[in-house]
Amino acid sequence: MIQADLNTILPEIILAVFAMLGLVAAVYTSKDKLAPALVWVTGILMVLLAIWIGAAGGVDKIAFNGMFIDDGFSRFAKIAILLSAACVLVMSQEYMKRRGLLRFEYPLLVALSVVGMMVMVSAGDLMSLYMGLELQSLALYVVASLRRDSAKSTEAGLKYFVLGALSSGLLLYGASLTYGYAGTTLFSGIIQTAIHGEVSVGLLFGLIFLISGLAFKVSAVPFHMWTPDVYEGAPTPVTAFFATAPKVAALGLFARLLHDAFGAAVSDWQQVIALLSVASMFLGSVAAIGQRDIKRLMAYSSITHMGFALMGLAAGTVFGVQAMLIYVAIYITMNVGTFAFILSMERDGQPVTDINALNLYSKREPGRALAMLVLLFSLAGVPPMLGFFGKFYVLRAAYEGGLAWLAVAGVVASVIGAFYYLRIVYYMYFGEEGSELETNRSPVLWVFLMASAVIMLLGVVNMFGVEGAAAAAAATLVN
Amino acid sequence: MSLFLIAALPFLGAVFPALLIRAGRNACASAAGAVTLLALIGVLVNAPRVMAGGVVTAQIDWLPQLGMNLHFFMDGLGMFFATLILGIGLLIIIYARYYLSREDPMGQFYAYLLLFQGAMVGIVLSDNILLLVVFWELTSLSSFLLIGYWKHLPAGRQGARMALAVTGAGGLALIGGMLVLGNIAGTYSLSEILDQKELIQSSPLYLTALILILLGCFTKSAQFPFHFWLPHAMAAPTPVSAYLHSATMVKAGLFLMARLWPVLAGTDAWFYIVSTTGLVTMVLGAVIALFKDDLKALLAFSTVSHLGLITLLLGLGTQAGALAAVFHILNHATFKAALFMSAGIIDHETHTRDIKRLGGLRTLMPVTFVIATIASLSMAGIPPLNGFLSKEMMLEEISHTTWLDSHWFFPVLATIGALFSAAYSFRFIGHVFLGPVRDDYPSKPHDPGVGMWISPAFLVLLVIAIGLFPEAVAGNLVRTVTDAVMGEYGDYYPLKIWHGVTPALYMSGIAVVGGLILLALHRPLDKGWIATPRPEAKTIFDGLVGALTRACRGITDTLHDGAIGRYAAIFIVFVLVLGGYAFTTGAMGPQTRPMLEIEVLPAIGWFGLVAATLCIVAFHRNRLLSLVLIGVVGLVVTMLFNYFSAPDLALTQLSVEVVTIVLMLLALNFMPKTTPRESSVGRRTRDVLISVAAGLGVGGLIFAIMTRGFAFDTISEFHLANSYKGGGGDNVVNVILVDFRGFDTFGEIIVLGIAAIVIYAITEAIMQTSVRARLLNRVPDQPVAGDAHPLMMVVVTRLMMPVALMVAAYIFFRGHNLPGGGFIAGLIAAIAIIMQYMASGFGWAAARQHFPYHGIIGSGVLVAAVTGLGAWFNGMPFLTSAFGYIHPPGLEEFEWATAALFDLGVFLAVVGAVLLALESLSRYAWNPNIDSRHPMDINPSRDDNGRVIRKD
Repeated sequence: MIQADLNTILPEIILAVFAMLGLVAAVYTSKDKLAPALVWVTGILMVLLAIWIGAAGGVDKIAFNGMFIDDGFSRFAKIAILLSAACVLVMSQEYMKRRGLLRFEYPLLVALSVVGMMVMVSAGDLMSLYMGLELQSLALYVVASLRRDSAKSTEAGLKYFVLGALSSGLLLYGASLTYGYAGTTLFSGIIQTAIHGEVSVGLLFGLIFLISGLAFKVSAVPFHMWTPDVYEGAPTPVTAFFATAPKVAALGLFARLLHDAFGAAVSDWQQVIALLSVASMFLGSVAAIGQRDIKRLMAYSSITHMGFALMGLAAGTVFGVQAMLIYVAIYITMNVGTFAFILSMERDGQPVTDINALNLYSKREPGRALAMLVLLFSLAGVPPMLGFFGKFYVLRAAYEGGLAWLAVAGVVASVIGAFYYLRIVYYMYFGEEGSELETNRSPVLWVFLMASAVIMLLGVVNMFGVEGAAAAAAATLVN
Repeated sequence: MSLFLIAALPFLGAVFPALLIRAGRNACASAAGAVTLLALIGVLVNAPRVMAGGVVTAQIDWLPQLGMNLHFFMDGLGMFFATLILGIGLLIIIYARYYLSREDPMGQFYAYLLLFQGAMVGIVLSDNILLLVVFWELTSLSSFLLIGYWKHLPAGRQGARMALAVTGAGGLALIGGMLVLGNIAGTYSLSEILDQKELIQSSPLYLTALILILLGCFTKSAQFPFHFWLPHAMAAPTPVSAYLHSATMVKAGLFLMARLWPVLAGTDAWFYIVSTTGLVTMVLGAVIALFKDDLKALLAFSTVSHLGLITLLLGLGTQAGALAAVFHILNHATFKAALFMSAGIIDHETHTRDIKRLGGLRTLMPVTFVIATIASLSMAGIPPLNGFLSKEMMLEEISHTTWLDSHWFFPVLATIGALFSAAYSFRFIGHVFLGPVRDDYPSKPHDPGVGMWISPAFLVLLVIAIGLFPEAVAGNLVRTVTDAVMGEYGDYYPLKIWHGVTPALYMSGIAVVGGLILLALHRPLDKGWIATPRPEAKTIFDGLVGALTRACRGITDTLHDGAIGRYAAIFIVFVLVLGGYAFTTGAMGPQTRPMLEIEVLPAIGWFGLVAATLCIVAFHRNRLLSLVLIGVVGLVVTMLFNYFSAPDLALTQLSVEVVTIVLMLLALNFMPKTTPRESSVGRRTRDVLISVAAGLGVGGLIFAIMTRGFAFDTISEFHLANSYKGGGGDNVVNVILVDFRGFDTFGEIIVLGIAAIVIYAITEAIMQTSVRARLLNRVPDQPVAGDAHPLMMVVVTRLMMPVALMVAAYIFFRGHNLPGGGFIAGLIAAIAIIMQYMASGFGWAAARQHFPYHGIIGSGVLVAAVTGLGAWFNGMPFLTSAFGYIHPPGLEEFEWATAALFDLGVFLAVVGAVLLALESLSRYAWNPNIDSRHPMDINPSRDDNGRVIRKD
């Protein structure tokens, strides 16, 4: 029994053991000199694990008496998490090194948080949920304030930590209420309670608090407050990481909790998720307009995108979950490319994040500017870029889920949101002459930027099969 | 040729010019031309079938479950537009070959142009409204690239952004409208939607869909009030202006209105929105055009005006209106593209587009003069040119249209529009070509090579041919297209020039004569126009964008002021709202458990608790006082635990309380006595309100939970039943700790140990830095007590130490059956030792401490682990406890359990961890300079300096 259980979580174990061994090895050898190699090894290990998980899939397995579920949904999410984390790691290596930030803890903390995320998306129990969530969060708190000598970074990290602790507390409170009224922490048990009896106020409070706690993790409005500060304060590679893998994990967990544990009470959470969704979409779009810093802008952009992803979740249907998964997969691909670009923005060797610095960028770097244009249009959801399909999926899911008002609100929000992406495009193509932006010539960043842009264009052919995979994944989650 | 190929050809072909530019400009242009020609042939091959009333289709499923499929169809309307796009495209490609200079990257230009062409063809051939939207947005994108082609021109920036913002926003609105439309009809297939007029028009969402779709059309086709972007987009190279902004892209909106005409038109909403917008646009555009001095701006506003005219015709919702609209689309495309190209030629040759600097070009550029004049006259509506025909049809139709019961409103305004239209057309001829030859042209003008004028010349030939023989040249075509627009076959009069003397002829006459008069009066009118204040669309747009940005920034700054207090406030308020939602929507069961009697003691405790808590809030700025009050809260809680029969908890709480207070006292050492007052009265009021609400909410929730039964039995029963039987102890709490959940405890002591070591490591690391020096030189904010180690305190702690350790041992041993245990015992022992540090000083205590605390922690963990492993030898899983009874001779029966050994591990780990942490932290405060080596100060055997006095 234990043998089979351990086999099921072997990928997680391998990554966790790797992180710990790496920690020990780095401490007892040359410390930070090992860091560049460690970044690559961690990235490669993650990719290998992703390939393994993808290849080994097929049979759904339940381990530890239902606490850990390995199904199509979790595999989809894990592959997305592992690949995006690996991409970000590999992209960040040079940036961090040049700025003296490349400590050996960085790849290992990322690896540990990825372990947490993998547990999150596989959680079948409130306890494994919390365990995964905290493992992820604790690593992220540290990573967020990695730039210890910068007041901005540490302040952002501290704010993140304090609010994160508040949300964790809320989540725990919700979990204990749920346990108190369902009599079990297993998702499969909770759903039985909800099916048999009316959802009691206690269970409902539990649900609400759980949602609030998770909303913080996906940075849905009004639990988003930490996002812009952390995005701006953290080193750019860390920001890129924040914008990709943790979002997948938190959304995956969100979907699993709502469908596996509270799938019988859709009407109870649908309105709340819809509210979070619409608030995120609008606030994210509106607030991004006033931003001058591209990292802050990306923070609001991620808030908006999370609003859209939640829209799929709010539909409460299999199609909704599928839409959410597709949306997220597309979203992280776009973000990897966009951040590959932001990472390469510099002047006199110093990173630049001011949007004004992009003035007339297309004149100097037509190739990169064109790739960025594609990515930004995709982020804005302009057809025929892939981003449009993501939006289209969630809009349809919401409409068919009986939330027509939400779909309409989504359209309006994307119109508002398009404005600030287009503004960047405008600067790149028609800005005024100013001090020139230099571009880091790193081939790694170039490859990621171009690959991401090409995917946004070619993906319209058949979305690289993600659609079918997402449909299968969603089907395993929603019964 | 398959429709797929036709739609794909420009996209695939876009690669060639980009690649072939190395082979020369001619090869590049030829490749682009060949691709276009091939596609055009493809359309024409299918033409006979379409003209016979057939529909050509091609279908591939793409994302069927999304309703998004690669379905194309070509009926009359599609073929008409496809021919227009490809045909004019071919002419533009020829023209651009000679227009672009050597410095311009021509390969890029043709690649973008073909991309745009493909997108346009895609729009008009799509049989799926989502596919249509995709192509629609592609045109925005490729036109953006084309407008931005001349990056060095600063004037174009604003215009390009405006064009992108307006058409982009419109495009997104269109997506929304299409989604709504598709959902009403239950399909995204265009040909199926077109059959469902009743269903769509009776739907409550009809108006929503209509408005959203029209927003898309109006922005694209530059209809009032979105007309302002088109003139500003004229910064593009002239071939682009001619192609996109007169002949094709701006017609996409018209195309869509015509395409959806069968299902959307015919209602009042359609008539009033579309025709009124069209009329206003037509008049406004014509008036403004007259006063523009830039040739291209004049043409741009005239385009706006003509687009308005066509919109007006489509809005009428009648068969004749549709026929006139289709006819005018054709005519406008011919004469306006020719005019744009002429303007481009003039710009190219004279290096200026300012009408005020031109004039007299008639003799210098005779070919251009002829072409431009014919096209202008057609635009003015002079017979026998094609512009006259469609304008007559329009006026005829308008003359019997009533608008809100007014019979004169439409005809009068339409005549005014036509009048101004004639005026600016005449101005184009009069002020550019006629008049005296000047000697101050920026560049000596002469006719360009044949390559540049062949395209407009061809179009002008069409203008004349259609004008003279409308029925023969265009009759069938226009009727087929109109059938396609209407979705049904209609009866038409043949197209002809002379309809007899009709109201339309009078209106036309008035327009032409009036136009001439206006032109004569142009100079004074122009002065008046310049002097009149009028709303400038660009200023309004910029102001709007600016205001929007400021408002957004305002919202953001209010929400995100960087203060964590505000973040937390928003967080909590929203949770409260959610809680309220849960409370109101959930089913609140009845109270199932009776309330306990309120007795005096807990009531006092409760009041004490509340009072202490309120005092903390009130006096929180005084740090020491609030620390004392926190202690009070802890003690009251301890007493309450005790009162409710939880002695274990009470003991634990008590010892933890003491340790933490000591820890915080250490921290206070480094802080000012009071915290600064940072928040304003308003903010404090807000915080009070929020916290009171949150507190009451949580309290109410807990109350509700406690007065209702749980869904299942508590786990206590199990523990009570199994504690003695399975764990050999009466004290359930202790048995849980060391037995039932021994694994947890094992993990916890490891974590505790790690935490203590981390604290040690961090303090150690910090002490290595400059912090150390700062700490040493720190001047306390208040005088240090004269006697650091009071005699009484020293004596008492030393005397108490053995007693305290004894108590710890006692608590430890009785733990298994009575309240106590290794954890509490460990805390008590730790407190006993801490007191030595406090009373006698760090140096004194450290000198007498022989066992490093790391070792104590490690040995504790080790003891616990070995105990756990012992179970393996017994054939049991890790940490299974065993117990037995021994009878030492002369003593009573004595129970011994492996759990006790495990508890010893806990004890050691706790002692080590607490002391290591406290010792590490107190090193900050330790200053060897003021530390007394001899805490008990009065020692007769020492002198004042601490030296031992030898008594020999």
